[in-house]
Amino acid sequence: MQKRVTFSHRYLPYLLVAPQIIITVIFFIWPAGQAVVQSVLVEDAFGLSTEFVWFENYQELFADPSYLQTFYRTIVFSFSTAALAMGFSLLLAVMADRIIKGESVYKTMLIWPYAVAPALAGVLWFMMFNPTIGIISFLLGKVGVSWNHYLNGDQAFLLVVIAAAWKQISYNFVFFLAGLQAVPRSLIEAAAIDGAGPFRRFWSIVFPLLSPTTFFLLVVNLVYAFFDTFAVIHATTQGGPAKATEILVYKVFNDGFIGLDLGGSAAQSVVLMVIVIVLTIVQFKYVERKVAY
Amino acid sequence: MATIKIDGLKKRYANGFEAIHGIDLDVADGELVVIVGPSGCGKSTLLRMVAGLETITEGTLSIDGTVVNDHEPGQRDIAMVFQNYALYPHMSVFNNMAYGLRNRGVGREEIKRKVADVAAILELGDLLDRKPAQLSGGQRQRVAMGRAIVRDPKVFLFDEPLSNLDAKLRVQMRIEIKRLQRRLGTTSLYVTHDQVEAMTLADRLVVMNAGRPEQIGTPMDIYTNPASMFVAGFIGSPAMNFLALERMEGGRLRLPGSEAMLAEDDGSNGAPVLGIRPEHMRTVGTAADADIVLSVDAIEPLGADTLVYGRALGQEGEIVLRLGGSHSIGEGDNLPVAFDRNHLHFFDRANGRRADVRT
Ligand SMILES: Nc1ncnc2c1ncn2[C@@H]1O[C@H](COP(=O)(O)OP(=O)(O)OP(=O)(O)O)[C@@H](O)[C@H]1O
Ligand SMILES: [Mg+2]
Repeated sequence: MQKRVTFSHRYLPYLLVAPQIIITVIFFIWPAGQAVVQSVLVEDAFGLSTEFVWFENYQELFADPSYLQTFYRTIVFSFSTAALAMGFSLLLAVMADRIIKGESVYKTMLIWPYAVAPALAGVLWFMMFNPTIGIISFLLGKVGVSWNHYLNGDQAFLLVVIAAAWKQISYNFVFFLAGLQAVPRSLIEAAAIDGAGPFRRFWSIVFPLLSPTTFFLLVVNLVYAFFDTFAVIHATTQGGPAKATEILVYKVFNDGFIGLDLGGSAAQSVVLMVIVIVLTIVQFKYVERKVAY
Repeated sequence: MATIKIDGLKKRYANGFEAIHGIDLDVADGELVVIVGPSGCGKSTLLRMVAGLETITEGTLSIDGTVVNDHEPGQRDIAMVFQNYALYPHMSVFNNMAYGLRNRGVGREEIKRKVADVAAILELGDLLDRKPAQLSGGQRQRVAMGRAIVRDPKVFLFDEPLSNLDAKLRVQMRIEIKRLQRRLGTTSLYVTHDQVEAMTLADRLVVMNAGRPEQIGTPMDIYTNPASMFVAGFIGSPAMNFLALERMEGGRLRLPGSEAMLAEDDGSNGAPVLGIRPEHMRTVGTAADADIVLSVDAIEPLGADTLVYGRALGQEGEIVLRLGGSHSIGEGDNLPVAFDRNHLHFFDRANGRRADVRT
């Protein structure tokens, strides 16, 4: 039986959902529509005339090796970020799960990074790794690693992965901890009696039981790394050096607002939109069906 | 082949709560010892200390002569059947049973053979590929048993393994557990709060109360010679009746309002109490032959037996009487009842212990 709320006035329900709908339309649906329209047009350099070109912008996009390169880089970036953020937060969650005293303090402290704005998070790490004044680059120098993400593309890439992952650790931690606490104690005890040591217990019992959480977080983290890391990159490397940290969302911005190729940039953002939609569908399908066991 | 020696075992939890105040128990090889008591008396705590799932605060625990206080659960060579079965939900029945063997490095072929053997004993052969979620409660229970048996451990530990089953299945599994335990000859500790389960399964019974063992003995020993009012009231169903006694001159004890002297004591017992089981009372023809006259409140015909509930003059509590067969007794009747003199129990109200009297 579905519950139905009865309103005294016919238009009241519409009025109540109106703000939500207006915001969605103005800030999401309308720009998305604009992007789709824009992606099939070409504008001349002075913005005086536009021409309808069917899917030419898309064809150009997928014929452009630098775009494909960025695509590949984005995938590496997203999976690295997701792996780092999830691995580290799982480790923290496992440790927090064992703590009995001071648990709430520990948890609260781990939630904080989530409240930090992405740009700030990026700048924070950027400063710590700063080749001249950063504490971490200083320490790395002591152990013989010369760090300069202004020049070294790999190091810059590593830096944005770390900064992006750090932001996401809190979120993952909360879910992993809840997942761990939902694993019945008696299962762990049965496994201990069955002669499994702590590591084996974790990998053969806890981790498989955590798989719905892990899958959910994997999708969330990939989506985050794909689309939400613009600020981190913009505040730090700005896609450089030599495009080493330019991922798809950043390229949309770069080509559109710096390069002023509006049609191409719009086509890129439509591609991104499609990816989000696909990921979301996958997520819904699997979350409904409850992964694995 | 294993013995268990529990010596002065105590448990204090991290919050300071003392769950076990000290218990000594020797379990012989192949013996099935049942630990019974009301909820919260520390049965599970004791069992979990033997399993190694709780630390031992004081005292020593030895299995086969080796002190195992500091051994991990996996090193103690025990198997445990949990109340909720604790089957691994993501593993098939086969893998649930094989898990402990794999952890101990048993070869692939041998695992197959062992699991197949045990599956045959427990009639699980057709279910080996299923996940626990696809099994009925009774089947899960069997898998939990199978997982314990397949490892051929020194000791079985059972923590209320039947309490999640319906009444009929519970009786079946009870018989099966006993049969298996006899056949395998594995030393076992079995925790339950069901006194019927306790009586029928046990070679020896430990009756616990508030973290202390009240009495340890064979079921019949405990039934016929309960050491305290607690044990007397806990073992046997319906529970033993307790009747207040009057002390006359010379320490003679009688029921209030009755002429018959039941016993004599030296006056060292506080307020004397008579214990008599429902099955050790019978109806008599006249009030003159009776020990008490029961004014009947309620009747429960069970078919084979009839339970009669009522009150007697000078007694506070309700009195229960079990009569064989069926009877035409009505509510409000006054029923003259006599006691079987061979089955009288005397207790000291002050400390609840069995009293020292002459009959
Ligand atoms: N981890 C714990 N910390 C503190 N006290 C505990 C803990 N576990 C159990 N206790 C307390 O110890 C006492 C004995 O608990 P235990 O679980 O052994 O009872 P039990 O006899 O098995 O009862 P039941 O028949 O309900 O299972 C209870 O009073 C319980 O509240
Ligand atoms: Mg218990």
